[in-house]
Amino acid sequence: MNFEQFQNQARLFVIGALDEEEVSEFEKARRKFGQKAEDFITKCYSLSEAFALSLKPAKASDQIKARLMEMVRDRKKA
Amino acid sequence: MRSRKRLSKAEEESETPERLSTSVPELEPGAPTDLELMAGIQAEDPEALSKLYDRYNGIIKALILRVIHNEAEADDLLQEIFMEIWNQAKNFSAQKGKPLGWMVTLARRRAIDGLRKKQAYARAEERLQQETEQQPDAWVHNATEEEIAIGDTRVLIRRVISVLPPAQQQAIELAFFRGMSQREIAANTNTPLGTVKTRLELGLKKIYDGLKELRDEL
Repeated sequence: MNFEQFQNQARLFVIGALDEEEVSEFEKARRKFGQKAEDFITKCYSLSEAFALSLKPAKASDQIKARLMEMVRDRKKA
Repeated sequence: MRSRKRLSKAEEESETPERLSTSVPELEPGAPTDLELMAGIQAEDPEALSKLYDRYNGIIKALILRVIHNEAEADDLLQEIFMEIWNQAKNFSAQKGKPLGWMVTLARRRAIDGLRKKQAYARAEERLQQETEQQPDAWVHNATEEEIAIGDTRVLIRRVISVLPPAQQQAIELAFFRGMSQREIAANTNTPLGTVKTRLELGLKKIYDGLKELRDEL
């Protein structure tokens, strides 16, 4: 796999679209390209952010935050 | 982080993804950055989680809703996901990306797991099929004139996405929001696997390139 092919696979990887057998090939190439590969993968996560940010924000129930914070405080006390 | 800017219609029409700047939820002057909030959560400060929740609950809930299409389940999952953010914060590393990307990855995985666990997959599939038949350009169907007039992140990103052919948008939608593998997409859309691979690769590359100028702000 050359680096251009790796880049294509990396974009698929970050959105979870690689098939199982492709993941092992991808991981092999990831090790081969080292830090350069890691840097590119990090950049690719902007795709995930972008897809989430492309959606109209949805309003959560007001009780959700209250329950969450109660759970967090309970967890801290434990 | 730059402040959000309202664009005039003429400006809005003349903007291109390559030169747009954008912002993820606007921060008040002096407000902690996402990285500072993550550091606070790592130090077990509930107030940091409270602020991160206020900043991103709308985006994360929208993502969950897009996956599971159920308001009550989405609220429950939202709570679980922010609890997981609290519990897993120690695994976050700024070297590997931004807090939002980490949260989105975590939320998406949980939402897709939740969808499958609750065995709502078949029903959601049916709804998705209906949506797809009614409106192939599903990604942009929620956009209103009012939304388009506002130069916010969502509109800018949608503009980048909307230049893709509908088949590429659909393949990405099925992969990202439905958690489908390439084989599943091929089976679901009666499309040859090679075609699905090409659609995903081309579509993602175009979006990636279109977002290049936005990336620092995302």
